Amino acid sequence: MALRELSSLEKYLGQKKANKYSTQGDKKVPVLQNNNGPPLVGLVTIACHLAKEAKRPELLGDTAESRAVVQQWLEYRVTKLDSCTKEDIKTVLKDLNLYLQDKVYLAGNQFTLADVFMYYGIHPVIVDLAIQDREQYVNVTRWFDHIQRYPGVRHHLPPVAVLRNRIYTSRHH
Amino acid sequence: MGFGDLKSASGLKVLNDFLSDRSYIEGYVPSQADVAVFEAISAPPPADLYHAVRWYNHIRSYQSEKSSLPGVKKPLGQYGPLGVADTTSGSAPTTAKDEDDDDIDLFGSDEEEDAEATRLKEERLAAYAAKKSKKPAVIAKSSILLDVKPWDDETDMAKLEECVRSIQMDGLVWGQSKLVPVGYGIKKLQINCVVEDDKVSGLLLFVDQVSVR
Repeated sequence: MALRELSSLEKYLGQKKANKYSTQGDKKVPVLQNNNGPPLVGLVTIACHLAKEAKRPELLGDTAESRAVVQQWLEYRVTKLDSCTKEDIKTVLKDLNLYLQDKVYLAGNQFTLADVFMYYGIHPVIVDLAIQDREQYVNVTRWFDHIQRYPGVRHHLPPVAVLRNRIYTSRHH
Repeated sequence: MGFGDLKSASGLKVLNDFLSDRSYIEGYVPSQADVAVFEAISAPPPADLYHAVRWYNHIRSYQSEKSSLPGVKKPLGQYGPLGVADTTSGSAPTTAKDEDDDDIDLFGSDEEEDAEATRLKEERLAAYAAKKSKKPAVIAKSSILLDVKPWDDETDMAKLEECVRSIQMDGLVWGQSKLVPVGYGIKKLQINCVVEDDKVSGLLLFVDQVSVR
C-alpha cells in the first residue's frame, strides 16, 4: 500500500526513473534504497525527500506555518489513520470535516503533500462510506472530490463518485 | 443560471449552497470564473455561510495573480446553479423576452407580425386578382356517366341510344357508350357525356331531357 503510494507520488512529481523500495518489519514500513547515502525509512520521510529531490519544495508548504501544518497532517496520517479502528474513523472524519470547513486545502491555500497522503489514506474509508454519511461530512467529500481530480494525483486508486444526492435534504439549511 | 443578487443575503445563500460541494465556481482550479464572482461580492460573506467564507478567503489569496488565472470572464449570469433566476441587469430582459416569445409562437402571432402579415396578404391578393383577370378562365367541365335503364328487355337499346344522343345542348358533348347487362336479359345503356359547368347543369339535363322520353 505504502509502496504504491510512493510510486504514484513519483509519477506525479514526474520522475522518470523509479526508485527501489523495500519494506521493513511486519508493518511494511517502506525503505528507500538510496545510492549515495543511508537507506531512508518511513513513508513521510521518503515522501519529503522525493519532493525535495524533484525540486518541488512548495509541496511541503511555502510558509513556515504551512510547513508545520503539512508535517502535522503527514504525522496524523501515519499515526492516527493507518492504525485506526472503525469507531475511530468516525472521529477522524468529524475532525477532518470541522477542519476543512474554512479551507480548500489542508495546509494553506495550495496543494501540498499533506493533501496527497491524506487522500491516499482516507480513500478506502470514503469508498465504504454510505451516501448519507458522505452528505454529512460535506467538507470532507468536497475536499476529497477536489483532490482526486487534481491532475496527476489519482494513479492507483479508482475514482469515487461523490455526486451530491438531492433526494435527501441537506441538514445545513 | 446565476446566483441572484450577490449583494443581498439571498444571493449569498445561493452561492454558499453552490460552494458546499465545490472548491471553485467552475472546474477544479481557480479561474476567471472565481474572479468574476469574487468581484461581484462587495464584502466577505457573513460567518454563518461558511462555505462562501472559505471560498472567499481562498480566492482572496490569489489576488495578486488574478489576471493570470485561466478561463474567460463571462457575465455573472453564466455561473452558478441551474434553475436560479438570472437577475443580473444585462441578461434579465432577454430571458423574459425569450419566454414571452415562446408563448406567443405557440398561440398566435405577435402584434408586430400582424401589420406585416396584413401587408403581405394584401399584396398577394392584388397579385392574384391581376393574374386572374389576365388569364382566360379555365372552363370547368364535368364528365357525367348516365345509366339508362329500360323497363323491360324488349326495348331496343340501339334506338334508345340514338334518342339519347339526339339530345343536344350548348356545352353538351356525348361521349362513349356501352351496353352493360344487368340480368334477365336486360341491358342498361351507360353513356358518357361531358358538360360545361357554366352552361349546363347536370341536374337540369336529367330532369329536362330525359323526361321528354
